[in-house]
Amino acid sequence: MAQEKATLRSVGRPRSVDAAQASLALLLNLVRTGAATTRQELERRSELGRAVVADRLATMIELGLLKEGELGQATGGRAPRQMQFRQDAGSLLVSAIDQSSIALGIADLNGQLLVEHHEAAQLDSGPEVILDRLATIFDWLLRETEKPAPWGIGLALPGPIEKPPTDFETVPVLQTVQTWQGFPFLERLSMRFGVPIFARSGVQTMTMGEAKSGGGRGLSDIIYVKLGRSISAGLISEGRLHRGAQGAAGMIGHSRVGEDLLEAVAGADVIAREGMAAAEDGRSPYLAQALARQGELSVVDIGHAAQLGDLFCVDLLGRCGRMVGEALAPLTNLVNPALIVVGGVVAESGGDSLLAGIREAVYRQSHPMVSRDLQIIRSQMGASSGLVGAAQVVVEELFAPATLQGWIGLGSPVRHPDFQKRLERMSASAAAEAAPPAGRVAP
Amino acid sequence: MNSKTPGDTAMSIAGLGPHGERAVPADQIQLTPADAAQALTRRFSVALVLHTTTSDWSKQELAGIAATLGLYSAALVEVVDCNFDVDLQVAALTRLAREPVDAVISIPIGNARVAAAHRDLTLSGRKLVLLDNAPTGMLPGTDYASVVSTDNFGLGQSCAAMLSAHIPPNGAAGILGYGIDFFATHEREIAFRKWMGSHRPDVTLVRERFAELEGAGPAALEMVQKTPGLSGIFAVWDVPAMKAVRALAQNGIELPFTTVDLGNEVALDMARRGMIKGIGAQFAV
Repeated sequence: MAQEKATLRSVGRPRSVDAAQASLALLLNLVRTGAATTRQELERRSELGRAVVADRLATMIELGLLKEGELGQATGGRAPRQMQFRQDAGSLLVSAIDQSSIALGIADLNGQLLVEHHEAAQLDSGPEVILDRLATIFDWLLRETEKPAPWGIGLALPGPIEKPPTDFETVPVLQTVQTWQGFPFLERLSMRFGVPIFARSGVQTMTMGEAKSGGGRGLSDIIYVKLGRSISAGLISEGRLHRGAQGAAGMIGHSRVGEDLLEAVAGADVIAREGMAAAEDGRSPYLAQALARQGELSVVDIGHAAQLGDLFCVDLLGRCGRMVGEALAPLTNLVNPALIVVGGVVAESGGDSLLAGIREAVYRQSHPMVSRDLQIIRSQMGASSGLVGAAQVVVEELFAPATLQGWIGLGSPVRHPDFQKRLERMSASAAAEAAPPAGRVAP
Repeated sequence: MNSKTPGDTAMSIAGLGPHGERAVPADQIQLTPADAAQALTRRFSVALVLHTTTSDWSKQELAGIAATLGLYSAALVEVVDCNFDVDLQVAALTRLAREPVDAVISIPIGNARVAAAHRDLTLSGRKLVLLDNAPTGMLPGTDYASVVSTDNFGLGQSCAAMLSAHIPPNGAAGILGYGIDFFATHEREIAFRKWMGSHRPDVTLVRERFAELEGAGPAALEMVQKTPGLSGIFAVWDVPAMKAVRALAQNGIELPFTTVDLGNEVALDMARRGMIKGIGAQFAV
């Protein structure tokens, strides 16, 4: 109905369609971000006339994108009615895939997480297994929690993600996970739910998550460092995520520490290995006991031992912290962040010893002005930051003015003509692959 | 029974925390003598907000909390029974935010609807320890001190493994699920389904939900009637499991059940070789 309305309005005046879409998109984003919510404010901020604003708002109410909310502050005369974005018009499916765990969640259209689930999973069990698991849990969560139909998927993968050439184009996952080479992971997931998919590296989504809901809330310049089996960093500078020319910004694990890579001297695996050696040769009585009890050791045990005062582990984590801090210091001098958030399994387990090591190196090697108000904290969000960030990625992509104009008249990004074409192409190529090979088949 | 100590038989923790955290086993958390001495002099007062105080799980939990607090001269000044009612919980937390208590231990009933009340309690300066789950969006350190939980994922997997022995090839198993957005029961059901999917892909899974405890019996009956050849049921905790067992027994139906939480009734039923065939529960240490 609303679609007809938008179409009718443009009869004989083709250029006005674009203008209508542009004004719809502009007004929706003003309301959605809270920049302007009353008609008067919307007229002022959009520089559109009263009749146009009234018409566009009516259209968007009809499309189910906006609703009239409570009365606002009166500035003389009647109190104005505030417009509200309907964040429940659709939902966003988000997932963060890591080396040893997967996280899934459903968010509303403001990127607010509504439900989340984390479970252990091995990346090397292959793309088919992980894909199947994601689809099963998403199906279950959507049904169980009775959330609205999805509008998009946000995915965080363990490695850099190349920038796609055009909108709705998915990028191959091969750069990210070597063993997934050639597997159309993103295409399959996108087709499975019939919605557009947007992928970023895990560290980039975590950085966005920390900026939106974690320690970096309200700050425009932050660095997030993920300390796990691999080490990488994300940067938000002047409010924007820095992705780099190829989308591979932040690979600080490849910095050299002496002859080795930082990852190879301060990553989770090497910490566990050193802990194992100390348990076996008696340098750490706590780890020796833990090894006897469990038969294996991980960085979690080493962090726990350090918290209980095991001197070897305190020293080990402090040393790792200093090495990470030395890699971070030049970055800190370069971008002058207000905050450095440290996350990942090593940070979660490493506790105060690790943080003290990082602080020591960063503060020692930074310019006094750069370090004057600089805070270095441990992430409170854990793996949830990846989910919140993935939701934020989808929100930013779907509501980017150029993309929004393509679907706003249709009520949902799923109906965006470019996405529909892309979906058809993906389905066609999947069908071609599934078809039996032509010609003679060997007996 | 065997002669092993709880520490020897402790299973590894299968589930991850509300933010993907790896859990620390309860027996590895200790107060230093200095902290303990300080706690003794402060004489903290603590309130407890439970979903119910009538189940055996709650009684055991309450007894454990009161005894441990007592060791450090902390007083358990109030126990609130919310009777599974979200509004009661919100009202209790709002009131406690103005009462002279140092800390509150609470089991959030549901998810988004109780998040704000929990957050406000922390903002009022009281320490908040959560049982079983953290509402989505709440952060450790800022919004709560910590979460103490059983390994719900592991319990769901154990129940699937125990029920599997009673399901014939290509048979059907039922899940008696809780129709409220509740982390702990979600995790159990997800884990049950995952175990069955990977170990018994031949088994068809069916599911009925109950929103209130009284609905558990009728839901189980409906599942049996709708699914010819249903060979066993997993109920997400012990109280609804026993309601379902009684409802089926009254109708002359006998089916193997597995469930979570070591309540007296399910334990007795299992010992009497009744319908309860397995219970997933963890050592209190």
